[in-house]
Amino acid sequence: MRVFDLGRVPWLDSQLLYHAMPRVGVDGLVILAPAEPYVCIGRHQDPAQEIDLEACRQRGLPVFRREVGGGAVYLDGNQVFFQLVLHRDAPAAVGDKEAFYRRLLEPVAAAYGDLGVPARYRPLNDVVTADGRKISGTGVAEIGGFVVLVGNLIEDFDYDTLVRVLRVPDEKFRDKVHRSMRENLTTLRRETGRSFRWEEMTGAMVRRFADVLGPLEPAPLPPEVRSEAARLAPVLTGDDWFARAGRRTSAEREVRISGDTLVTQRVHKAPGGLVRAAVETKESRIVRVSLSGDFFCYPGDGLAGLEDALAGVPLGGLETALAAYFAGGRLAVPGVGIPDWLAALGAG
Amino acid sequence: MAMIGKWEFPDELAYTAEHVWVRVEGDTATIGLSSFGLELSGQIVFVEAPRVGRAVTAGEPFMSMESGKWVGRVKSPVAGTIAAANEELEWESATVNAEPYGKGWLAKITLAGPADLSALMKPGTPAFEAHIAAERQKYGK
Repeated sequence: MRVFDLGRVPWLDSQLLYHAMPRVGVDGLVILAPAEPYVCIGRHQDPAQEIDLEACRQRGLPVFRREVGGGAVYLDGNQVFFQLVLHRDAPAAVGDKEAFYRRLLEPVAAAYGDLGVPARYRPLNDVVTADGRKISGTGVAEIGGFVVLVGNLIEDFDYDTLVRVLRVPDEKFRDKVHRSMRENLTTLRRETGRSFRWEEMTGAMVRRFADVLGPLEPAPLPPEVRSEAARLAPVLTGDDWFARAGRRTSAEREVRISGDTLVTQRVHKAPGGLVRAAVETKESRIVRVSLSGDFFCYPGDGLAGLEDALAGVPLGGLETALAAYFAGGRLAVPGVGIPDWLAALGAG
Repeated sequence: MAMIGKWEFPDELAYTAEHVWVRVEGDTATIGLSSFGLELSGQIVFVEAPRVGRAVTAGEPFMSMESGKWVGRVKSPVAGTIAAANEELEWESATVNAEPYGKGWLAKITLAGPADLSALMKPGTPAFEAHIAAERQKYGK
């Protein structure tokens, strides 16, 4: 198999080339980084729901919809991308999703290890550090007769910009997402305190992928790939492709931080008033929750105690925890029953 | 209802090699994913319903689904025109996994001509049994 190490490329090429390769029947491993930062949303996301497009415009950040799945990401030159285009019948592509991800993300984890950050594959599609923090973004698309796996080695990450360009219902929610991201997403530089040369990062990645894919021969990108990318450019940057609606959710807002960590805000109309709950969950357990609304409660500052009581509770145990808390008489909220709290917390 | 392993395959349906089921009634084919196909897909998190009126070609992808950050394409087993799409799935994609042969149907296609299901397989036939056995081996199921 060939490896196309393209170095830094214009931001749009960092997306178009891997979309073009399967369309002209070219397989291989592409390694590159975008010369300019941009925002990229998943194939099935609704841009207006996910992204503050005005904030992107003010910062001069293009927004691109990829064919690959997953969520909105901020991408820049501090991330080295790998884009693996495999024929569906290639030995490395066989098996179910977990087998596929495991086979091809274990080399990524091993590359992190080579760079001084012990990491492992965590099903279904995460690469995480020894203490479980995500350190690579990944996704897959089936394009033509090919399977395309994309991901990155993250040297450094601009948490602030990503959180600033995500659409959020309010600043409290933005703070919650920011905090969760810093706790659950890390980088090579945060883990080691140093910077990395291009050859260091790409060398580790190519060596480790070669263990699975066989010898990887450096090669120039075939000209037909660039021609196809040029043909695709107006299609994949056009309004028909970009502006289509995407995944619907009953939540007011939902941001997935990693495979097992989610920050969600829901609004539920109870007889006693609107209940708003911003909840961070990890492995289906509440990490922290913020409750607000236009209902009356006694005592007036009593919600803080309920928020504390729900931290650490598994979603499946919420009903019991809520019943126990209200039975204790520390808080009364007329017109907001346990089913209402459960609905606001996303466990109804 | 045929059972192979833990997977159900209603007898009255025909199946493609890529685990799409087809039910033809008059000039309309209803399609969905088989329970085995969903075993391979995993939990579906989004279904992009195809546009009604769109022409589809047998063997060509015409809609997409997502699970585990993996965007897969569904190929039409027949040629024709999309008559209806199950738009409920855009809100409740879990229905595909929960009721693959019922409320989890994907689309209804008005056939372009007389139904030609000769390329499809029926449960209980040697070809179908052999295909599922090969797929189980291929995917470790």
